[in-house]
Amino acid sequence: MLNFIIRRLIVTIPMVLIVVTLTWGLIRMAPGNFYSSEKTLPPAVEKNIRERYGLDKPWYVQYGKMMGSILVGDFGYSLKYEGQSVNGILARSLPVSAILGVSAYLLALIVGVVAGTLAALKQNSRLDYGSMALAMLGISLPNFVLGPILVLIFSLTLYWLPPARWGSGFPSKNVILPILTLSAIYMAYIARLTRSGMLEVLRADYIRTARAKGLTERDVVVRHAVRGGLMPVVSYTGPALAFLITGTVVVERIFALPGLGNYFINANLNRDEPLIIGIVAFISIMILLFNLLVDIAYAFIDPRIRY
Amino acid sequence: MFPNFRMHRLQITAVCLALSFLASACASGEASNTEFFGKVQPPAENTLRYISGSEPESLDPQVSTGQPEGRVYMALFEGLVEYDPKTMEPIPSIAERWVPNNSLSEFVFYIRKNARWSNGDPITAHDFVYSFRRGLAPEFAARNAPLAYYIKYAQAYNEKAVFVRDPQTGQFLLEKDVKGGDTATNENAAPVATNAAPAPAKTETAASAKNTTTAGEHPENVGGVSEFPPDATDATRDSDFHHYIHSPSRLVLNGDEKKRAKEIEADPKLKAAVAGKEFVTIRGEDIGVEAVDDYTFRVTLSQSAPYFVGMMGHQFFRLVPRKAIEKHGNTNWTQPQNIITCGPFKLESWKPYNEIVVVRDPMNWDAANVKLDRIIFPAVEDTTTMMNLYKAGEADTVANHNVPIGWLDRIRPLKDYMDAPEAAIQYYQINVKKPPMDDKRVRKAFNMAIDKNALAQWRRVVKPLTAFTPEGLFPGYPQPKGDPFDPAAAKKLLADAGYKDASGNFDPKKFPVEQVKLVYNTKEENKQVAEFLQAQWKQNLGLTIPLNNMEWKTFLKHRSGLEYVGFARGAWVGDYMDPFTFLNLFYTEKNDSGTGWHDPKFDAMINQANSTLDPQKRYELLAKAEAYMLDAQPIIPLYTNATNFLKKPYVKGLYPNAGTMHAWKYVYIERDPAKWDRGVPDMSKSILAE
Repeated sequence: MLNFIIRRLIVTIPMVLIVVTLTWGLIRMAPGNFYSSEKTLPPAVEKNIRERYGLDKPWYVQYGKMMGSILVGDFGYSLKYEGQSVNGILARSLPVSAILGVSAYLLALIVGVVAGTLAALKQNSRLDYGSMALAMLGISLPNFVLGPILVLIFSLTLYWLPPARWGSGFPSKNVILPILTLSAIYMAYIARLTRSGMLEVLRADYIRTARAKGLTERDVVVRHAVRGGLMPVVSYTGPALAFLITGTVVVERIFALPGLGNYFINANLNRDEPLIIGIVAFISIMILLFNLLVDIAYAFIDPRIRY
Repeated sequence: MFPNFRMHRLQITAVCLALSFLASACASGEASNTEFFGKVQPPAENTLRYISGSEPESLDPQVSTGQPEGRVYMALFEGLVEYDPKTMEPIPSIAERWVPNNSLSEFVFYIRKNARWSNGDPITAHDFVYSFRRGLAPEFAARNAPLAYYIKYAQAYNEKAVFVRDPQTGQFLLEKDVKGGDTATNENAAPVATNAAPAPAKTETAASAKNTTTAGEHPENVGGVSEFPPDATDATRDSDFHHYIHSPSRLVLNGDEKKRAKEIEADPKLKAAVAGKEFVTIRGEDIGVEAVDDYTFRVTLSQSAPYFVGMMGHQFFRLVPRKAIEKHGNTNWTQPQNIITCGPFKLESWKPYNEIVVVRDPMNWDAANVKLDRIIFPAVEDTTTMMNLYKAGEADTVANHNVPIGWLDRIRPLKDYMDAPEAAIQYYQINVKKPPMDDKRVRKAFNMAIDKNALAQWRRVVKPLTAFTPEGLFPGYPQPKGDPFDPAAAKKLLADAGYKDASGNFDPKKFPVEQVKLVYNTKEENKQVAEFLQAQWKQNLGLTIPLNNMEWKTFLKHRSGLEYVGFARGAWVGDYMDPFTFLNLFYTEKNDSGTGWHDPKFDAMINQANSTLDPQKRYELLAKAEAYMLDAQPIIPLYTNATNFLKKPYVKGLYPNAGTMHAWKYVYIERDPAKWDRGVPDMSKSILAE
């Protein structure tokens, strides 16, 4: 087991370096520069800029310099946002995205599991149909539609909640709508996953055994069924959390939040090379790590899996 | 598998827009407020919440070129002058007055004695000398540096060019030593002649410096002192530097060794002159800025520039703190714990991608007249989000161009809608180098086949434009009119250009549509305009020009490299309140027009205008030059922008001026509803007239 973890962690390093190299190459191939704008710059001014940021050096020197600093964990300075280090931007914006993501996921988990379990227990009842219909709606309604609808209702018609902005941050009224918007689709997925998982488990032999033992229905469900029924949810959690924590472009934009997603999309549009590379490297590390965690979790939950 | 919707921002905006229709549809049902949009409740504190746009690139006024940043800088930094909140003309700021010399090529600014930095240090003329030199320093690499190229030797310094010095005598080689008196008149008549040299960097310097030496009315050689009006006694004060800057222009050569060697090789006369001499890199100390004394700042230009004072309000010319920059470095001094400012407000907090908060600075020389306690600039990118915040009463004003066109039917009649013309235009540029657009008649025909009135009516936030300078913004400027909408004449022009059938009538089938394209950068409103043009040409000429949209940075490269065929979208925002900020785009061979068009005659007309001292006569000459350029039709003018923003009625002293630049100290919150603004406030008179 320990061997497995160490091996996976070692593999992570070259993977991230490959991702970084590919990203670097793609940025180089994209036309335009971080300094290009409506006004065309005189060649001399452009030359000054290229010299200041070391862009006049041969590509392998630039590449080597970048790799060298990445290996010691320094992603350099943003080109667009003068004086802001990429590490600083990550350190500042990650907590915003992470806290939104984690809260949204916890909310989704609680509501989803409860709704899914109830639906499975009362299969084909009104409760089942109702909650599954809602879940279907949640899956099909993208967050860039749901967000504005929530804003329209709660901010612009009822004037209960602010329509956007981070304000005093978490927890405050400002985060309610973003979290709701963000969690809706996960809630729906988890509800459906739980329901189908539970339905399968409830028909399993060991549940029949539990019932035959004369356990109360509550004990059967809480002690025996839910554990097994949640397996699909667990495997879903890893990647979902990785995505949620590293920022959600749409929600951060609609609600003007200072998270990682906003930086990511703007870094691309601005051709802000160090920032793009920093965020890409970070996201790939997160995804690799969360996948590893899921693999480890499997080993604990499913006795058939051994590393 | 993962429900993660990473969409392009434009798609997001489009969807949000669609939803906002829904929003406005629902909202129009409510009867609560018909006069204004959304909640009208003055904030409890004496604070303004102004959405200027997205996260600023930097808090260093010499770094960013953007307008959203410019507005934040106006709170934190002052310059020699400030923009009048209504007319945008320069009004006194740190300079309490200024005196130009008789040829408008030298300006003396008198710094007020009570001006202070936010740390209490006095502001002196030396601070301006430092700021101007820093902005032009090549290692600082400011994108806005070309704005200051009017200052003598500024361009040469910024381009790392060199002077030529005799190591024995210490004498510098002069321009006239090489270029010779016999050719001087010749050059003056045809300024392009010198521009044929390979390095644009050097030649432009030569061209502008030449203006100085040959302009005729230049008084520089009269005892080394320039001519000032008789009452400006201080301004004439002499100094060694003044003698130097007014001595005949030194020869400036390319700083790049290889390029310089090539140039010298190509010119035998030059080669002989520089033999045995050394090259000295031009330093910041060599450019035409001087602190005559602590409170007198003198700027010497290489040419007459009547609009120069108007430029001094620009963010690039605002004062930066030497103390903080030298201590913390060029990039770190703007961090909240390091920053020193000089504006009516100082930085309280800066949370990137969240908000910038500034508070009134008691150190400011005019603190007694600063009305607000605090301004919050939230960083918001999405237009719909801005509108939502405004409607919910979480923002008091949003920046220009932020009311989506789909909302206008509802917003336009409201009394908090700010609609006024801007010093900004939209047009399409034409690649005049590639056929069939290299034919002037074809270009004219395409222009005449567009009904610009219909376009303006449909866009709703714009005024139709047939010229290149925005209409009605420069009082007294006799703006020329471009060709009117005339499809019949357009067809005739195309027939004349050879696209005709046997009977001599225009035949659309003959026109090589496949050689022409209309490119624009991906954005919903650009697409709408492009489709409008396409429809007009289809309807009026029977030609279907293919459209091609591109991502912004890709588009910029495509356009500036003249890679496009046919038409490319263009937009221009004036840097100062003078027609020349627009006409400048076509000036000199290496111009910024992105069309490939250049005409020495146009340059000569501009030169003549800008060395004319009588303002009205100068305007007339500029208008003539504009008319000349319009006749060549390297562009298709479309419309003048409108400010198009919302401002709560209780926000007073903030005007939809031509640049949407607000001098924040005049802004205040009015709590008496009787005194609120209902409609666009009057902007005809300067704030100083109040």
